[in-house]
Amino acid sequence: MLPFIEKYRAKNFDEIKGQDAAILNLRNFFDNFPKKKALILNGPAGTGKTSMVFALAKENNLELFELNASDLRNKSSLDEVLKPATAQKSLFSEGKIILMDEADGITTSDRGGLPLLISLIEETSFPIIITANDIWKKKFSSLRKKCQIVDLKFLRDGEIIDIIKNVLEKEEKKLRGDTIFMIAKKVRGDVRAALNDLQSVFNLGEEDYISDISEREKKESIFDSLKKIFQGETNRETIRIFDSLDMTLDETLLWLEENIPLEYQGNALTSAFEALSKADIFKGRIYRQQYWRFLVYENFFLSAGISSAKKLKSSRFVPYKRPTRILKIWMANMRNAKMKSIIEKYARLCHMSKKKAMKDKYLLPFILDNLDKDTIKKMDLDEKEIEYINKKKVDFIILNNLNRFRLDN
Amino acid sequence: MVEDTTIWTEKYRPSKFEGVVGQEDIIKRVQNLTNSMNIPHLLFAGPAGTGKSTLALIVVKELFGKNWKENYLELNASDERGIDVVRQKVKDFARTKAIGDVNFKVIFLDEADALTKEAQQALRRTMENYTKTCRFIMSCNYSSKILDPIQSRCVVLRFKLLEKKDIEKRVKFIAENENLKISDESIETLYELCGGDCRRVINILQATAAISSEISSDLISTLTTNAKPADIKIVLDYALSGDFLKSKEKLLDVMLKESISGSDIIKAIQREVWNLDIDNELKVRLTEKTGEIEFRLVEGSDEFIQLEALLASFVLAGRGK
Repeated sequence: MLPFIEKYRAKNFDEIKGQDAAILNLRNFFDNFPKKKALILNGPAGTGKTSMVFALAKENNLELFELNASDLRNKSSLDEVLKPATAQKSLFSEGKIILMDEADGITTSDRGGLPLLISLIEETSFPIIITANDIWKKKFSSLRKKCQIVDLKFLRDGEIIDIIKNVLEKEEKKLRGDTIFMIAKKVRGDVRAALNDLQSVFNLGEEDYISDISEREKKESIFDSLKKIFQGETNRETIRIFDSLDMTLDETLLWLEENIPLEYQGNALTSAFEALSKADIFKGRIYRQQYWRFLVYENFFLSAGISSAKKLKSSRFVPYKRPTRILKIWMANMRNAKMKSIIEKYARLCHMSKKKAMKDKYLLPFILDNLDKDTIKKMDLDEKEIEYINKKKVDFIILNNLNRFRLDN
Repeated sequence: MVEDTTIWTEKYRPSKFEGVVGQEDIIKRVQNLTNSMNIPHLLFAGPAGTGKSTLALIVVKELFGKNWKENYLELNASDERGIDVVRQKVKDFARTKAIGDVNFKVIFLDEADALTKEAQQALRRTMENYTKTCRFIMSCNYSSKILDPIQSRCVVLRFKLLEKKDIEKRVKFIAENENLKISDESIETLYELCGGDCRRVINILQATAAISSEISSDLISTLTTNAKPADIKIVLDYALSGDFLKSKEKLLDVMLKESISGSDIIKAIQREVWNLDIDNELKVRLTEKTGEIEFRLVEGSDEFIQLEALLASFVLAGRGK
């Protein structure tokens, strides 16, 4: 079965809901080309940016030449792909438009990618359309100057509901009104998410879907809280932001930690971490002294402390991240478990602390090289551990080119 | 004197007083005490790899002969979780009578300076309670970190770093036994790398020998420069260049890979700051901040958050560089 997001992708301008102003601007841009050579469709995910370009191509019988960030790895590859496309006339269609999809994906590692795109805009004989979630990032400043910028809006809940009803009709399915409403509320104006959710309702069944959503709502609301803390004004309400959040303060702290660097730089970054550090001190005191009133201070530094770290508030879109540190620690523990167990056994045999034994970690594969049976038994090493030691040794020898010292080969 | 194992630090660990290199005065005193078959509590203070554990083992072997394992408990203060565990283990061990002619058992408490002041107080009580059935031998790097009341109950012996001639003697003995070719220059290199830490010398010697029986100075240096934990400096360099995300990522990476605690990281940062290529005034400011964060590590609950706060200060400092 074709996924709904493909099956019900808007094929023409009529099917694109809630973006009339943007569509008008896009048509004008195309009609007046080459007055402006490139246009940026800027807006949140699932608002119809890519569909709009497809619709434009269809309406005017144009060949669509599609590029995405992964094509834009370096100058030579982009040169190869784009130059002929801009210079040659299309064989079957009236003309051609070039779509640079998801410009946000152009990272600094795509060296030459952005400057090349800019020079292409200068040279092109076909319209170039760029889609982006956040074109107001600093790295795009020179690109912005070359382009007309069109902003797309989040769709209203009512518009999403219309889209869902339309799909239900075509699929000949029925859903309860409150489920439809729930989907619309949840996706916040993202049509693609709405279609995906609708499909999972059919796959999971209505009841399971609803319980699944409440799980995810937790995540949704932490996103909201983060946005309020980072981007909202610091006022009397600020210290109450986490009250309505269905998440422990400790977990909230980890979310803040992960996302501060995505929002703040320089002075603000330092002040925000200063606040986080102080919150953590109170957290430590709560644990040690079991004096729960300190929660007030922990909460204060996490909310007002971090919020007031930045004086100038912005409203740009920041894709917040789930905290990863705890998972990384867990994974590292799994990975280090074998070495730790070996070190423990070595420490016991050699009358030393694990901590001290840990300092021999890198020499250990050599010290434990070719162990005699007695020692293996005394240390209680198993076969996997011996194999591991041997592998570490070989890796080290190869990595540091130590074979040149060996006499026997 | 040779133990039956392929791990050299054990294989060549002396099991008689005569086999120990260096520390002549201490050996003489301990030997006299042991000969009387009734030792006092002992406190061995001195740097790593100078023979503290070795001497403790020799003492119990001399005292108990073949029964030594039954009458000897080895505890490591830095590995045991809390003084309660130490006390319980001591209690369990001290409850039964010593086997053999000697009427006490011996407890070796290694790295006793890892215990907090409170834990040491508790330990002092334990020492008193079991003094009839147990003798304590404690080891530490710095005797100043051991409470006075404990010190006053012990005969304190101070171990010195081994001298070059002692290290040389030991290395040559092992080399002969293991059929290694080692030049004076290589011995010099070994000594320079390890100072007077005999355990480290032997470990490096064995590791090099696993690669080639011809121990060249070049091989020793290549092996040891690569066989060490990742540098904390790169973390600071990222921060100073303004890349907070990379810096914290690298920090977590180093901590997880090497299993280093936050307090060890902060010590490394404190040492590194003075070597950084920045203004002296900035170094002073950053060191002050480092000290503040070291204090907070103790007060707080999450070491990494405190370290991140420090890195953020480095990012800011890097801007004014």
